[in-house]
Amino acid sequence: MNCDNILKLFQSELVVVNVGPKLFAEALEKQGYKTLQVEWKPVAGGDREMQEILEVLGGLD
Amino acid sequence: MTIEQQVNAANEQVMEVLTRARPVWTDVRPALEVIPGMTKTTVLVPGPPLPVEKLTTPIRTAVCGALIHEGLARTKEEAWELVLSGKASVEPAQNHNCGNAASMVVSASMPVIVAEDKVYGGHGYAPIHPGPNPKCLRWGFYDEDVERDLVWFRDHFGPGLGEAVRHAGGIDLITVLSKTAGMGDENHNRQPAASMCLALQVIPHMLGLSDPDRDKMIEMMAINDRFFLHPMMAGVESITESMKKIPNSTVLAGMAGNGVDFGIQLAGTGNRWYTTTAPVIKGTFLNPSYTEADLLGYLGDSCVTEVYGLGGMSAIAGPAYMRMTGSNISEARSRTEKARAVSLGEHTFAPVPWDDFRGFPVGLDARKIVGYNILPISHGGSALKKGGQGGAGAAELPLECFKEALRGIYREITGHDAVER
Repeated sequence: MNCDNILKLFQSELVVVNVGPKLFAEALEKQGYKTLQVEWKPVAGGDREMQEILEVLGGLD
Repeated sequence: MTIEQQVNAANEQVMEVLTRARPVWTDVRPALEVIPGMTKTTVLVPGPPLPVEKLTTPIRTAVCGALIHEGLARTKEEAWELVLSGKASVEPAQNHNCGNAASMVVSASMPVIVAEDKVYGGHGYAPIHPGPNPKCLRWGFYDEDVERDLVWFRDHFGPGLGEAVRHAGGIDLITVLSKTAGMGDENHNRQPAASMCLALQVIPHMLGLSDPDRDKMIEMMAINDRFFLHPMMAGVESITESMKKIPNSTVLAGMAGNGVDFGIQLAGTGNRWYTTTAPVIKGTFLNPSYTEADLLGYLGDSCVTEVYGLGGMSAIAGPAYMRMTGSNISEARSRTEKARAVSLGEHTFAPVPWDDFRGFPVGLDARKIVGYNILPISHGGSALKKGGQGGAGAAELPLECFKEALRGIYREITGHDAVER
């Protein structure tokens, strides 16, 4: 098994992809790491009943 | 067809109505003659339904004033007795295709603006804006002066305006919005350009009126830079009448506050209201001694203009309103972008030059508002608990009434409730 690519990955600059609350990305940035923020929120703010309704009614991209 | 496909198809139909409708101000008539379901003892009030015991002070004053104006009572006490006994019927104006701004109420003999959607045939109504005098029924005041003004509107201004508008062959409201695009109106709380444009079209037809008060009528029209709001409300009501006939749609078709509750209507469930506690309008005060404790919750039907994409939805169109209410241009842009994120379309007839000539967003979809948790921001004038205007500003539309609306339409379509709660 060729592990070269995996080793290269570990030797390259660390860029952290952060999904959701930006607080975690900011903490890493303060320590000098690069981050990539993905704006994501749970559907309907996590409201399970609304998620169930929207699963049927649709309309979200 | 899945339920999602049914809803999407219904929303496409509603969007066709919203974007292709052509509201025209055609007449002014006594409410009893034209408003569906109106009777001699009906008083139409702004906002979602509220038990009469909970009516706020300014609405209660306006309702009693209207009943006295109609000759049904001699005193406010007698009038209130008619309300409590059910002999007078207090009903939400928007359930009758009528929009009542602030604390305004409409009774049988009051003149109302009639708007007709020339494409889909709907009709909408609104009382005439009372002008710059703050002591008026529209802000919850009633005394001999207010009664004298109501009589003049009934016997002179209303019939005169009706004659002028009929003589003009009707006033196309889309044309007014188009011609004044880029003139700084957001057309809910600020409309000097649209009001002037309207006056340009109506006043020439008032010159031929035989009424001895003709000049006073022309003056009344010419000095009122908020006049356009009420024909526009009637215009939007003429459109929502057609929207509310399309089942399964999750698009917003009505919204208003009664000072206690705030409510919305979805096209797919017609005149059914979904309510929650009314937010307070925050911004600027007309008098520095006022505080938030002096204010009622959101009050009035004028935000029905926002169903059509005006006001807070097109905040970017009205920078001066933002400035006046203590806000700024980036917030204006943010308000319009929020509305775009949860709307299904965009008008093309009134592009905003400093927004890359984009039109204003229209067709708020309750699914997107709840799903993305993005709450559009509405503009509005705030009402004082004691009566009168407290200030002007904005309020976030409350999430809970949109959740309630989704429960309602889900139940309507599936015949049962969702399980989780």
